[in-house]
Amino acid sequence: MDFSVVSPQNLSQLRNAIRTLQRKPYRIGAGYTDLLMELRKSDTSDLTVINLAQINDNGLSHIKSLVNHVHIGAMVTATSICMNDDIARRFPTLQQAAANLASTQIRNVATIGGNLCTASPSGDMACAIVALKAHCVLMNVDGKKRVVPVVDFFTGPRTTCLKKNEFLYKIILPRNHKQTQHIHSGFIKVGTRNAMECSVVSLAYHIQVEESGYVIDAGIGIGASAPTIRFAEKAALNLIGKNMQNFTDENRNEFAKKVLTYASPISDVRATSWYRKEVLYNISKSVLV
Amino acid sequence: MEVSFNLNGEKVKCKINPTISLLELLREEMGLTGTKPGCNEGECGACTVLIDGISVNACLYPAINIHGKELVTIEGLVTAEGKLDEVQQAMVKHGAVQCGFCTSGMVMNIKAMQRNLEHAHHVPGENIRVQPDRKNIMKWLEGNLCRCTGYVKIIDAAEEVLNKNKI
Ligand SMILES: Cc1cc2nc3c(=O)[nH]c(=O)nc-3n(C[C@H](O)[C@H](O)[C@H](O)COP(=O)(O)OP(=O)(O)OC[C@H]3O[C@@H](n4cnc5c(N)ncnc54)[C@H](O)[C@@H]3O)c2cc1C
Ligand code: FES
Ligand code: FES
Repeated sequence: MDFSVVSPQNLSQLRNAIRTLQRKPYRIGAGYTDLLMELRKSDTSDLTVINLAQINDNGLSHIKSLVNHVHIGAMVTATSICMNDDIARRFPTLQQAAANLASTQIRNVATIGGNLCTASPSGDMACAIVALKAHCVLMNVDGKKRVVPVVDFFTGPRTTCLKKNEFLYKIILPRNHKQTQHIHSGFIKVGTRNAMECSVVSLAYHIQVEESGYVIDAGIGIGASAPTIRFAEKAALNLIGKNMQNFTDENRNEFAKKVLTYASPISDVRATSWYRKEVLYNISKSVLV
Repeated sequence: MEVSFNLNGEKVKCKINPTISLLELLREEMGLTGTKPGCNEGECGACTVLIDGISVNACLYPAINIHGKELVTIEGLVTAEGKLDEVQQAMVKHGAVQCGFCTSGMVMNIKAMQRNLEHAHHVPGENIRVQPDRKNIMKWLEGNLCRCTGYVKIIDAAEEVLNKNKI
């Protein structure tokens, strides 16, 4: 490997570094758990790595709880997310996704920004972020921000809508509704073994229920089932207005069928397409118990 | 590129090639071979070290980012009197070491869990404390592979030392 590295210390140095490299190949490095392996496998002569790890900026590296939103900086690690009790209480799907990513050692450095920007169809935190209907805040070299819904952030397998003069700055989660009395929220990851495994299929759900038991809002994200993580909109809409306490088998099948319409999984060494669909169908049903 | 950091309690400074990993820096430049190279891709945990008190795979950590940090490797655990650390003693007592290749990484990750127990409430944002029961210990150590012991004795050792000062 023979790339060069620049380590900006603040946001304006970061923007300058990106600006200077507009006509040259560069990569952004956050926790390096994806990037380092990728660089080891490729020709890196002429490449510059812009190292985010030494930047001191609260927006980039903190979780901030506001009245209507929670801001999560792109450099926040999976550990900080799963150890944060506001997130554990209000957004269990994200807490569980972060807590089950890879291993303790990887979670300590892997960032949520890296998980999104890698745009893997099996990104765990990214899948929960989709179910939570979050927005991504992108910043360009002039400091201008662009806010995009996370579903539009992914444009294909391993591609995002980030332009060459932009980076991911933070993620904004909308708070749960005021009327929400109960949240039914979680993350299901099915792999071929427990730890460290790219999921065969994953499902993130975040269902908000009011006092009387009726669903007032729902988000469903599915991973490893299509070229990108998908928001199963029809399945989510299908739940709204229904009573959480008396789902019938028919309701469960209908919901699972709707989830499946978003899946177009591949067959690979980990599982066949048929198996992935069967698993997705069954875990979808299991959400509504 | 020059980095300065705290290594096992001492300030050090060194010039490095910016592309190398912390594992390469430790083993090849500094001669600290207690940190083991296994997979070199974040899967096995043999290269686990503590950076500012948390466990990290040295093989995936760019050496440049150690600048300004506090690094503890297995070599840093011996006490001033030359005694083994309590985690190491527990591993010996329980017969949790066979070939020993995974041991330094295991010990460092158990140290990280011990530190979480002691400090979780003092770290802003990181305010959940992981209870040291067997299930949580197994989960905490998921990123450390051992091909010899079958894990039971390692978990016995961790359980004993993590519950020693139970509050
Ligand atoms: C052993 C192992 C197991 C793993 N298991 C899992 C798992 O179970 N689930 C899972 O989801 N992932 C897993 N991963 C993948 C990886 O750990 C995650 O995707 C992680 O969140 C990536 O974050 P990072 O900070 O390390 O990103 P990096 O490797 O630093 O970057 C990843 C990509 O994002 C880009 N990037 C990063 N930050 C920004 C930014 N702010 N703006 C623009 N671009 C940016 C980089 O250029 C790069 O292309 C695993 C990896 C390993 C090595
Ligand atoms: S050598 Fe670092 S995890 Fe295997
Ligand atoms: S003792 Fe041999 S690998 Fe663990």
